[in-house]
Formats: sequence, structure tokens, C-alpha cells
Amino acid sequence: MTGSPVPFPPSERQPAGDSPVKADIRDVHFYYGKFHALKGISLPLYDRRVTAFIGPSGCGKSTLLRVLNRIYELYPGHVATGEVIVDGQNILAPGLDLNLVRAKIGMVFQKPTPFPMSIYDNVAFGIRLYEKLPRAELDDRIEAALRRAALWDEVKDKLRQSGLGLSGGQQQRLCIARAIAVQPEILLLDEPASALDPISTQRIEELIAELKSDYCIAIVTHNMQQAARSSDYTAFMYLGELVEFDLTERIFTYPREKRTEDYVTGRFG
Amino acid sequence: MSVYGRRRLMNYAVIGLAFAATAFGLLWLVLVLGTLVYEGAGAMSPALFTEMTPPPGSKGGLLNAIFGSLAMTAIATAIGTPTGILAGTFLAEYARGSRFGEVVRFINDILLSAPSIIVGLFVYEAMVVQMGHFSGWAGAMALAIIMIPVVVRTSEDMLRLVPDALREAAAALGAPKWKVVVTISYRAALQGMLTGVLLAVARISGETAPLLFTSLSNLFWSADLNAPIANLPVVIFNFAMSPYAEWNALAWGGALLITVAILLLNIGARLLTARSTFKT
Amino acid sequence: MPAEHIIKSYDDELRRLNNIIVEMGGLAESQLGAAIDAVAERDSALAARVVQDDAKVDALEQEADSLAIRLLALRQPMARDLREVFAALKIASDLERICDYAANVAKRSIALSQAPPIQPVYALPRMAHLAQQLVKEVLDAYVARDAGKALEVWHRDEELDEMYASIFREFLTYMMEDPRNIGPCTHLLFMAKNIERIGDHATNIAENLYYLVHGTPISGVRPKGDNSSLEVVTPQRPAEQRDGGR
Repeated sequence: MTGSPVPFPPSERQPAGDSPVKADIRDVHFYYGKFHALKGISLPLYDRRVTAFIGPSGCGKSTLLRVLNRIYELYPGHVATGEVIVDGQNILAPGLDLNLVRAKIGMVFQKPTPFPMSIYDNVAFGIRLYEKLPRAELDDRIEAALRRAALWDEVKDKLRQSGLGLSGGQQQRLCIARAIAVQPEILLLDEPASALDPISTQRIEELIAELKSDYCIAIVTHNMQQAARSSDYTAFMYLGELVEFDLTERIFTYPREKRTEDYVTGRFG
Repeated sequence: MSVYGRRRLMNYAVIGLAFAATAFGLLWLVLVLGTLVYEGAGAMSPALFTEMTPPPGSKGGLLNAIFGSLAMTAIATAIGTPTGILAGTFLAEYARGSRFGEVVRFINDILLSAPSIIVGLFVYEAMVVQMGHFSGWAGAMALAIIMIPVVVRTSEDMLRLVPDALREAAAALGAPKWKVVVTISYRAALQGMLTGVLLAVARISGETAPLLFTSLSNLFWSADLNAPIANLPVVIFNFAMSPYAEWNALAWGGALLITVAILLLNIGARLLTARSTFKT
Repeated sequence: MPAEHIIKSYDDELRRLNNIIVEMGGLAESQLGAAIDAVAERDSALAARVVQDDAKVDALEQEADSLAIRLLALRQPMARDLREVFAALKIASDLERICDYAANVAKRSIALSQAPPIQPVYALPRMAHLAQQLVKEVLDAYVARDAGKALEVWHRDEELDEMYASIFREFLTYMMEDPRNIGPCTHLLFMAKNIERIGDHATNIAENLYYLVHGTPISGVRPKGDNSSLEVVTPQRPAEQRDGGR
């Protein structure tokens, strides 16, 4: 369906200073069986920047995220068309090794999902999938990942304990450590803090601010203030369409589209 | 009488009925167990575990029957567990929405509730008649066929309980499907699946009808699975209906033995699940 | 205003803020008008009332400030709502200054009316009426959220500045003619300066209103017609004047 105008054709993209485009999403459509969930989404994800996706429930923001690492292919009847160009390669192309694609693009989910194994094994899981490292090096990688996720100090003495014994906020940081341990290039965060208390939420946001310097981060959130605080760019979606994409500052002080303004000021949602 | 008063009365009435029904059920259970313990306690002695089944009129034990039962149960478990778990894995992980999966599940449910005597008859035709004689193998096979649907069912149910979020998280890291199943699904569902296996073993250890057609029984010590072999259920069957007092006593002892064994297996299964809930 | 917020009390609070500003604006207009009348009619009682009523405006500004802070903290306003609150804060401050200047004018008029009336007094009300017009127009623009009207006010400040410059020269010449005029003329000078400042604040309000509506500040330099700070007047000696140029 190409009736709706593409709001941001490549020629009008916002300049991002020195930051190149890491993932170029071009005319992506998505179908849950017969239901047309995403309608011609096109926007860039800039490297070393945080892009937030906001919009009311059912607008398709989580769906879009799940297209980016093709996790939807676990389920029959879910189809995506269009292109997502990452480093010159279309990752939606058929015939690609899905597992390699997913290793390059990390994802953290809404509900913390620690595996039923020790904290050490949790973080090592992804590494062990594709790399054969000597023990010492593996230890270092795991420590680095846990440090980056601001979890090392809290778990360094109990690496052998089950991951399930941690608090919610800690579990989520464990999931983040697990995702960054494999050194992905893009990080997808699907409402990472919505199941957490305010303090844990702030810790996660601080973490995102620090991780930004090394990754291209896309975050879906239904908490507008979080999007406003944490992101550089914001995309507003509604009913499967991309309504507006711009610098976060712009979206929250003077958006161009009336629908965007109505949403961010709480006039509908 | 007010609405509230009527409701309260109704409440008491139904609670009373619930208690009464429970008492009724428990009554029979207590009676059965009581009789079992009362009659079987008399036959409990070390001799039960050291001596063979005796000829009519003399004292003895149940060693050959115990051995036969253990052997056939073990073999049936060895056949049934991997088959059942793998089939359950297929249904839960690979055949989620497919038509084929639904058909398989349906057939499994039918087998689950098939009368065990039919299984026995089937194995009789397939193995005993072909081989020309009764055998322990046939008995073990019959037990395995009874066990498989149970394990398939419980494995699939336990695997389905594992949240998809965990699978997605593993897949998102780039894990191939089989790895997700083995390292994540199995690990998460392990306790549940083991419990299912234990319960299936408990189920088959008491099956009598299939064994009548397959392994028959043997009054003497025999470790040859290629021939009729003694086993507890059939021995109880024979001895209980005999006019000999010693045989009757032994039958009660055997029955008590089976009951205790099943009880222990069930307790084991409970302990397993209790441990897992404790952990989380 | 577009559709209402989902949370009605949010709309109520924004409306209240708007109403405070409107009330302050009304007071500003009336204070300025009363001050001018006090000067023109040499009415000390009226002047005293103006000075007293300034406290009302101060109280309103406090109320506007605390309501704005409350809105910022509790509602986390975004986009237009944020600009509304921000603009309201600044406009309240500008209106409070306008009223202060009006009160200053009224205070000085008391001193002025002790002395006998002098001719240049009559130049002042003309300037003041223009200032009054500017204030009224910018407040109307605020109520209607009309950025175009705000832009007009923004341009007309130049007119006021030019008037001030000419009054400045007029007073200077008057003072040079007769030293007995220095006293009252100085008062008048200060009053004129106050009125010129009122015009500047009205222009501030116009700028804030423009930002509220368009999200970007008015581009360009504010037109300034007041060169009086650069003005140099050399006094002529009385003998030479009478000489007539011989």
C-alpha cells in the first residue's frame, strides 16, 4: 500500500552532524497474516545516537523493532517487505543467515528474561554461540559486559548463582549485559524499563546514555518523558504509519504535525 | 428471610456437601489402604525379597517377580522416555500451529486413554505370535507403548509452559533453533518433564492386563527376557485367586509392595516440583 | 485552542494561568490610564491610588509564577503547552514591570503637581496614549494568540521611541530657556523614560507571544528609534540669542 506519503524521503533527512546512518529503513510493510500492521515505514537510524519510537498502543512501534532483527520469523504467517540496509546489506533479504544477522543486532525485551542458568552462563551464552574463547578471555568479556551494564559490583561475588535470584532491575541489566556481551552493532530496546520501579528505570536510562557512544540504539517506549529524556531522535507512529520523525528537541517543543502535537501534549492517546 | 440470610444458608449447605463428598471419597481410600496394609503387613519379611515364588503349600518370597517387574519397567522406561520426550518436543517446539501437529496430538490423546488390554493384545499379535512364545521383551514393549503417550503429553505441556519470551531472547542472540530447545526450553522445563516421567513409571508399574498377554509369568527364577518372566502384577493375579493361604498372603504382600513403590515414586515427583518452586 | 487534554484539570490550570495574565493586562492598561489622567489633571489623590494598587499586580505576578512552576513540575508540559507556560512566565514579568513604571509616573506626578503647570506637560499624554495603545493591542493579541498582531506592535515600538527622542529634545530646550523649569522638566523626563520603557516591555510581550505561536523567535533586530542617548545639545548664551546673529 503506497497511498500514504512517505514523510521523510531520503533527500530530506535531518542532518546528524558527524553521525552516519547505521540502519536505513526503506518502505517496510509488515503483515500479521491478513492484518496490515506497518504501512510503508521509512526512516534512518543514526549510529551512536538513540532513536525513540513513541505512539499509542497498537501503533506498530514494537512490530517495527521486531522487524529489524527478524525475530518475527519465529512465527508463521508474519511477513515483512521492504528493505533495511545495514552497512550496505539488506538484512531483510531472503537467504541470509538469520542467526548471524541477529548476532549483529541485539535486543532487550520488556519483561526481563534471564535464562535458567547461572549469571555467568547467562552472559556467556551469546558469546559461546559463535566464539571459542579460552577461559580467561571469556571471563574478561563477561566482566566487561557486566561492568558496562552497571551490574558488575552487585554480582561479582555470585556469578555462579542463578540469574533468577536477582531483582527485577538487576535482571533487566543482566539481559542488557547479555546482549552487549556479543558486541552487536545495533541495540534494540523494547520498553526496557516499563516493568521496573523508578530508580531502576533511571539506572537503565543512565546506562543507555553511556552505551550510546558505542552503539546505534533504538528504543520503543510508551513513556513520553523517557523518550524525551533519553533520545536524540524521536519517531512518532500512529496506526502503523510513521507520522513524524525529527530531533527529539523539536518533537517535544514544536512538532510539525498536529497529530504529533496532540499526542505529546496528551490530547489523545 | 433476607437475601443475605438465604445466601448464607446456601453457603453452609454447599460447604457441607463438599465436605461430605470428600469424606465419602476418603472413606474408600482409607478402607482400601487399610485392608492392604492389614493383610499385606503379615507377609512383610526379609524372605519376601530373598526367596522365589514357592510351589503351592510352602513358604517363599517374590524375588523373581520383583526382578522381572524391575527389569521390564526399566526397559520400558529406557524405550519410552526418549521417545516420549522427543515427540513432546516436536509437538511443543516445531509443530505449534500446524495441522500435522494437531493430528499427532489427537492420536496421542487417544492412545493415552486406550485400554491397556488392547495394547497387550496388539503386542501379543505383533511380537508374541511372531516370535512364537511369550517373553519379557514383549512385556517391556507393551509397557513402553503405554508409557509413551503419557510422557509425550507431560513433556509437551511442560515445554509449553516455558514462556516464549525466553525463546525469543535466545533467538535474538543468534542461537539456532535446536540450541534454543536444548539449552533453554529443556533447562527450564526439566523438572516438569522428569516429574512426568516419574509419574509415567508409576503408572506402568502397576499394569497387569498387557503383561498377561505378553510376558505371562514364570514360577521360577529366570533372567532370560526371551522367555516368560515373572512379574508382580501377574503373580498377584494368579496367587490371589488360588486357594492356597501362603499364596494369598504373598499376593497381599506383593500388592502392598507395588502400592508402596508407587507411593514413593509420587513422593519423589512431588519433591522435585517442590524444589523448583522453592528456588524461584 | 485545539482539542482538550485528556486530563481536564490540566486544561483548567492552563486556563487559570491565561486568566491571571489577562487580569494583569487589564490592570496594566487601567493603571497606565489612571497615571496619565493624574498627570494631566494634576490629581494627587488618583495618583496615590495608582501607587497603592501596584501591590495587586505584584500579588498576581506571584500567583502566575507559582502556578507556572506547579504546571512545569506536575504536568511536564510539552510542545505548545510548554511554550504557553514559558510565555506566561515572561509576560507576567513584563506586565508587572509595566505596572511598576505606571506607578512611578503616578508618584512623580504628585511632585509635579506641587509646582505650577508648565507647557511641555501636554506633550507627555500624547506619548502615553500611544504606549497605552501598544499595551492594549498586544494584550488583545495575547487573548487571541494572534502572532500577526504581535508583529505589528513589535514594529510600532519604533514610533514610540521616536516620540520619546523628540520629547527629550523639547524638554532640554525648555530647561535651557529658563532654569526655573529644570525641576519639573526633570520629573517629566523621567516619566517619559518610564513610558518609553513601558513600550519596550509591550514589545517584549509581543516577542514572547510570537514565540508561543510559531515556536521560533522573531528574526531580525528590534527596530530602535531612540537615539536620545547619543544626543548632544550645546547651550547658546542668552546674549547671543538676543543678538539675533550679528
